[in-house]
Amino acid sequence: MTVFKTFSQVLNKYKATVLMYTVMLVLFGGLNFKTSDNNVNFTASKPDVLIINEDENIGITKDFIDYLSEYTNIKDIENNEDSINDALFYRDVNYIIYIKPNFRESILSNSPNKDEQFKQLISSSDRTIVEIKTTGDYQASIADMLVNKYLHLADIYSNTFEDENEIINHIQKTLSLEVETELTSKVDTNTLSQVTFYYNFLSYSVLAGCVYVICLILSSFKNKEINKRTIISSMNYKSFNLKLLLSNCLFAIVLWLIYIILGFLLVGSIPTNYLIIYIINSFIFTICSVTIAFFISNLINNKNAINGIVNVVALGSSFLCGAFVPMEWLPDFVLKIAHVLPSYWYIKTNELLKGVEVFNSITLKPIITNMLVLIVFIIAFVVLTNIVTKLKLKK
Amino acid sequence: MKTILSVENLIKKYKNFKAVDDLSFDVKKGEILGLLGPNGSGKSTTINCILSLLKFESGKITIFGCEMRPDAYDIKKDIGVVFQEVAVFEELNVIDNIDYFCGLYIKDKEYRKKCIDDAIKLVGLEDFKKFYPKQLSGGLLRRLNIACGIAHKPKLVFLDEPTVAVDPQSRNNILDGIKKLRDNGATIIYTTHYMEEVEILCDRVIIIDKGKIIASGTGDELKELSKIEEKVTVEIDSLDEKILEEIKQFKNVDEATYNNGILFITYKKGKNNLSSLIDYLKKVDVHYDKIYSERPTLNDVFLYLTGKELRD
Repeated sequence: MTVFKTFSQVLNKYKATVLMYTVMLVLFGGLNFKTSDNNVNFTASKPDVLIINEDENIGITKDFIDYLSEYTNIKDIENNEDSINDALFYRDVNYIIYIKPNFRESILSNSPNKDEQFKQLISSSDRTIVEIKTTGDYQASIADMLVNKYLHLADIYSNTFEDENEIINHIQKTLSLEVETELTSKVDTNTLSQVTFYYNFLSYSVLAGCVYVICLILSSFKNKEINKRTIISSMNYKSFNLKLLLSNCLFAIVLWLIYIILGFLLVGSIPTNYLIIYIINSFIFTICSVTIAFFISNLINNKNAINGIVNVVALGSSFLCGAFVPMEWLPDFVLKIAHVLPSYWYIKTNELLKGVEVFNSITLKPIITNMLVLIVFIIAFVVLTNIVTKLKLKK
Repeated sequence: MKTILSVENLIKKYKNFKAVDDLSFDVKKGEILGLLGPNGSGKSTTINCILSLLKFESGKITIFGCEMRPDAYDIKKDIGVVFQEVAVFEELNVIDNIDYFCGLYIKDKEYRKKCIDDAIKLVGLEDFKKFYPKQLSGGLLRRLNIACGIAHKPKLVFLDEPTVAVDPQSRNNILDGIKKLRDNGATIIYTTHYMEEVEILCDRVIIIDKGKIIASGTGDELKELSKIEEKVTVEIDSLDEKILEEIKQFKNVDEATYNNGILFITYKKGKNNLSSLIDYLKKVDVHYDKIYSERPTLNDVFLYLTGKELRD
């Protein structure tokens, strides 16, 4: 009890630091929950389209224009080269379609080259019955998709039917068909994103808290002169080290538990299978943080240097591995470097978990692999710590 | 008297340098043994070897009749150590620091509390129980360092230069505390390079230089090794060379020098050396300001044996 009691007393001196990392987690993690948009509905986006019809506005041409009017915002811009180019440049329109004078005739004619014509129409910008100018953005792609869809149907039905009204009726009938979609996922993806952010940020708080506090406490216990007193005392030195290790682990586990409970309070409930994996992953990472802290404390005994070490280790790895910003925003070379850091594998698991819809061996395999990598890190740090300790004893 | 500690032919090397060179000595129950020597003479290395903090090349160390090993916890429970450097937790106050180090030996809470109180009384820290190390002066910090080392009431105590850089009041307090420890039955090994402390405290002294014992015995026995018995110092404004030569011819005079207004005479032995000198100075009409006589110190012994001062 003597070791544990003194550990608690020394820890008590550093409670402000632990509190600081907890407040940061609550502030940043909590702030994320409050500011996130919980609306999961979506509305179809309508591109801004300019139609310049050089054909007669009758029959299939009129139907084509009506169809585009329904699914796009038709813009009215003066038909001259400068105005049209300005409209494109300033993104007043996303898509300009020139309907050529032979549009209706080409569709309805039984030309032997018709199929070839349509192929060109769909695949090339040098189209014979329509001409296109686009801004090249995703809105333009939507407009292009709508145009292609109509022209495909017109091609199919004009090959089958002779009468223009019949062709139009079939095109309209086909276009009016709606595919019923159902969200198979029962999980609120927005909540999962928020939980992932919280657990990603937790990696910083746990790592910084563990490294800072454990290094400071161990630098006191392992101070050269104090350590000499401990070695010559009647307490078995192995037993002393074990008690110290257990005290540190207990501190880390309590810290982890507090953060898990805070997570519950901040985000509410999420499906159990997700929660279990988040908890297991964060627990393994916490143990890994303890081993990192032990390793660092074996290398450095200077209390003044510990603050700098925390910044390099915790802040550095959190930035490199995507604890503060999503992983997908980080450059590839940064992520490649991050592979050597435990935080990367922890955060990667959280990110993978966010995208999991169904739990099976295929979806769980990469998650378990990442956890195993973390366990390998734990073993590596324990081995390294032992090597450093033995080298120091030899000295 | 029962032997508490026995060191036989201890050799400790740092690469080719022999820090401890075939050292052998015994410590009897209840005695205060002084290990005297200049810095780097091998005192602390010897203690670290005895405590199994350092591996040594050869030799045998026996404490309480059993061979000392790093895992000899039965022996260690009765040993207390006060190192030269202060070894306390900055984060704990006086009482918690003593409690921790005492707790490494004593599990019983009530008995430990009593031991802590006794230790605080012994070193005179009653008014500073709730003070943190940063709030203590150098002397008080040294006292705390001692309290942490002896709170568990050890039978054998090693004190490695516990009074380095300590104010006179704290030094006296520490020396009184050590005497009390001895009175309570502890055997003490006291290393220092302050010969005054050794003369006040120690029953027996071992003088070490370059890892070897160059002399051992009681203070008086060691002083007998020195060829001088008395030192006389006289402050005189000016002294004729002829008078100095005459003084050198006095009975028992070993050496006489006159430098910077100070006449310094050493006597091999004899009685009434001082009164004879005063009579002579009156006779030759030499006026002096101050005149005083001293017994030789262990520093003189060390000087005689090695040709250098203890604090060199």
